[in-house]
Amino acid sequence: MNMMTLQIVNANVSRVPFFRFLNFEVQSMDSLHAEAEMTFLERHIGNPVMEHYHGGIIASFMEATSAIAVQPDFADVPAKPINLTVDYLRPGVRGPLYARATVTRKGKRIASVRVMAWQTDQEKPVAEGLYHFLLV
Amino acid sequence: MRDITREKIDQIAQMWNARGKGLIDHMALEIEEVSTEGVRVRMPFNPDFCVDRDQTLLHGGILTALLDSVFGLANFIAIQGVSTMATLDLRVDYLRPAHSRADIFVRAHCYRQTRHIAFNSGNIWFDGHEDAEIARGSASFALTRGETSLFDAMTREK
Repeated sequence: MNMMTLQIVNANVSRVPFFRFLNFEVQSMDSLHAEAEMTFLERHIGNPVMEHYHGGIIASFMEATSAIAVQPDFADVPAKPINLTVDYLRPGVRGPLYARATVTRKGKRIASVRVMAWQTDQEKPVAEGLYHFLLV
Repeated sequence: MRDITREKIDQIAQMWNARGKGLIDHMALEIEEVSTEGVRVRMPFNPDFCVDRDQTLLHGGILTALLDSVFGLANFIAIQGVSTMATLDLRVDYLRPAHSRADIFVRAHCYRQTRHIAFNSGNIWFDGHEDAEIARGSASFALTRGETSLFDAMTREK
């Protein structure tokens, strides 16, 4: 996907209030993938003692990235989520968080997406998720 | 299992509400009911959590975050002598579009605890529509038992 299209996707992202709250940018994509970077903010904190990311923020970021992988050209609202499963593997510490979503199946009505989130090393994921979306 | 005093429950609830930073603070949660049987929490409507331009449709992620947070609170209350607690996994079903500007309620409880693991379930509805759940979730948490309780660590921070 060329630079111009990525700009359009990020312009759409910036129009979604909750995506602005999450504070992320789509960095690359093709027909089956989307990769995004989220910048750490105080409001992302879940554990106030350790200052780790809130698990719900990690899940929200993975949901947002997955929805973009499924429907990058969403006009108004992002793809409709049906359900999700998240496996939390390591604490998310202060600093940028990355997510890469892969569409494993996109049918007429339903799409399945696998997504992983990491920080400094892609081989050491912070979380992995499986999300379903309704396309109708 | 040791019994928890009403005083301790109120202390935990107060501390949880007064953390002063992070997402839970942003969600402006109000604890409506709290006991070892479970908790009920209100989240006021917040346009920042919406996906549409009119700001009437909540993003699923905030419902997931709400469940995760309130599971944590339910475990705090239900389980004694825990020094660390981490979400192991989380599953959420989005049962209806979260289309309203009404406040949200979430109910959560710990339905089983072992030495190492806590199992939780909970659900979410809009104020006045308890019969029309918008989301249901379940999670498991990894616990570390120890001398220094999480509660003590968090109150010392103040």
